[in-house]
Amino acid sequence: MREAVASTVEARAARAFFSAAFAVVAILAQVGCGAPEPRLTFSGSAVGAEGDLIRRQLDRFARLYPNIPVEVRVTPDAADQRHQLYVQWLNARAAEPDVLQLDVIWIAEFAAAGWILPLEADDDDFFPAALAASRWQGRLFAVPWFVDVGLLYWRTDLLSAPPSSLADLRASALEAIRSGRAEQGLVWQGARYEGLVTVFLEHLTAFGGAVFDHRGRITVDSPEAVRALTFMRDSIRSDGLVPAAALAWQEEHTRFSFQSGRAVFMRNWPYAWPLLARADQSAVAGRVGVIPFPAAEGGRQSAALGGAQLAINRYTGEPEVARALVDFLTAPEQMLERAREAGQLPARRSLFLEGTLAESLSLPLPEVYRAVDAAVARPVTPIYSELSDSLQVHVHRALSGQERPDDALREAAREMRALLDRTGLAPAAP
Amino acid sequence: MRTASVMRAETRLAFLLMAPALLIVFGIALIPLGATAWEAAHQHDLRLPWLGEPLIGFRNVAEAVTDPRGGSALSRTLLFAAVSVPIELAFGLALALVMHHVTRGRALARAAALTPFALPTVVAALVWRFIFESTGARAGIDWFGGPLIAWLPIVVADVWKTTPLVALMLLAGLQAIDEGLYDAARMDGAGPLRQLWTITLPLLQPAIVVAAGFRTLDALRLFDLPYVMTGGGPGTATEPLSLYAFTVLMQRLRFGYGSALSMLIFALALVVAFASVRLLGRVSQGERR
Repeated sequence: MREAVASTVEARAARAFFSAAFAVVAILAQVGCGAPEPRLTFSGSAVGAEGDLIRRQLDRFARLYPNIPVEVRVTPDAADQRHQLYVQWLNARAAEPDVLQLDVIWIAEFAAAGWILPLEADDDDFFPAALAASRWQGRLFAVPWFVDVGLLYWRTDLLSAPPSSLADLRASALEAIRSGRAEQGLVWQGARYEGLVTVFLEHLTAFGGAVFDHRGRITVDSPEAVRALTFMRDSIRSDGLVPAAALAWQEEHTRFSFQSGRAVFMRNWPYAWPLLARADQSAVAGRVGVIPFPAAEGGRQSAALGGAQLAINRYTGEPEVARALVDFLTAPEQMLERAREAGQLPARRSLFLEGTLAESLSLPLPEVYRAVDAAVARPVTPIYSELSDSLQVHVHRALSGQERPDDALREAAREMRALLDRTGLAPAAP
Repeated sequence: MRTASVMRAETRLAFLLMAPALLIVFGIALIPLGATAWEAAHQHDLRLPWLGEPLIGFRNVAEAVTDPRGGSALSRTLLFAAVSVPIELAFGLALALVMHHVTRGRALARAAALTPFALPTVVAALVWRFIFESTGARAGIDWFGGPLIAWLPIVVADVWKTTPLVALMLLAGLQAIDEGLYDAARMDGAGPLRQLWTITLPLLQPAIVVAAGFRTLDALRLFDLPYVMTGGGPGTATEPLSLYAFTVLMQRLRFGYGSALSMLIFALALVVAFASVRLLGRVSQGERR
């Protein structure tokens, strides 16, 4: 626990330092440029294994287009900071970077602002949720690059089979606690940050609710949503299913808890899988399975979708080459290489089904495929970050007993509707 | 006639001599302030460029005043100042008296007392978070889990961090008090408590007002402790006004509205600054009489 905190703190300090350094470098780079000859810049994660990989792939691309060198513009890995930098650049109509790595939740915002080019859709191999997140008002604005997906980890030594429903999960977890086989039932990310929203959305889908209906109206205060939040609140405040400390937990806290054998279930991303499998660090190595988050009555099984897409800067001077680069980077060959070297899941369904992926990734691919296929895109809206902030605040208040679940969601819905009105994005009256 | 022209010449000279100082004040205070006010009068949302940047007058300020999250952030900020500043004054006075009366190893004692003040606030906040997290885990208390209890670590860290500054300011006041007064009081048979009550505290009033003013101004712009220790949570229970303004400005990138919130913080600080200057004037006048 303390180790986890120390590591996140260190990571945060390092992130802050590097992002400051990167910002300076980026500004200097911009000041220094102005060369007239055609060239392409790519911006995205470029540290460590990802950095080596992207440079190698860009070199290969440069051989296809020998007259156009491609440069990497390094941007901070922390999502908020990269987002802020992109928004500043694109507001200033900077022509670079030409190709941008965008978080799955930014596409609608950038598309609505007119900062990225609409693309021709000609490929339906991508996971539906990833494609849904790449569209804005029916048009495609980005190409899925890699996906991340919420998984429910379960202990194969404590249970004979994975839970068939959320009620089953709760019952078997509480039984394991009662019989002394585990200290904690389910651990999830309960701190007030984006991770909490993904956990809430999985519960929401499990109970049959949604943030928007098909006409774009806010439905986050529906009875299904209230049931979902009430379930989460009771899990942490009265049932003892989720430890109270989870109110301050992010991914790594939950992993440490599950890895030390304390918990029966954990909601987390695929990155935890290889770490849990290491017998020298993990008390549960070889005793873990994954499934999508199970359904409650009236809902369906679900998984939150993460990951990144590639999009093209509206002000680029080289739209054709930029499109060629996007196609090149999202081609099966490059995706497989990315899975092998950086452990990132391909956004193409065919790669899961062909079996070549199994050599590159040490993940239970059939289960992961089921989860990505069941995944729901997070609400696709230009005001996602405000919407997320509002949900974070009210869900966290409900979980810490400051608001009743129905009041919390009613208030969140009111804030979101006001926001849609203010920004002119509210759906037209019927 | 001649005296008037001399006066005018002197006035001109005075302005000339003050010019560099005025220029600096203008450059570092008024220009940014004016720019923020200008920003606050516009709708400027970096992420919603299709809305443009129209002049909307006081609409942002009106929204800030009626925003429930802003309102509760304001009352929490005021409450924090009302609770933490008196504690810091009390502890600071005690520490100042100790530092004043220590005779051996005086330099060492003063340096030791000042160390918390020398530590960067973010580092201090991290250390205090570890302390509360680990002791809480052992004792089974979740210090950061409840809306009210989560303030305790913040207030403790703030008191620990700023008491030395208060002590330093009060120590300067203590040293300005004439020792002869204490000799006379002792001659008349006044005990230490009586001396504190009738000599030290009344004569220390100006220093106390200055320290209280500084601390209140500081407390009203509370940011780094909750940012590091609680992130404003649970919910928004420990979110002060400046942290909310930061979220609006730097995360939502709503420059207009964020600037309006900043102007509110500025107005608040201005009121406190004026009040403490007035109070200081009255206190020192009373002393002279």
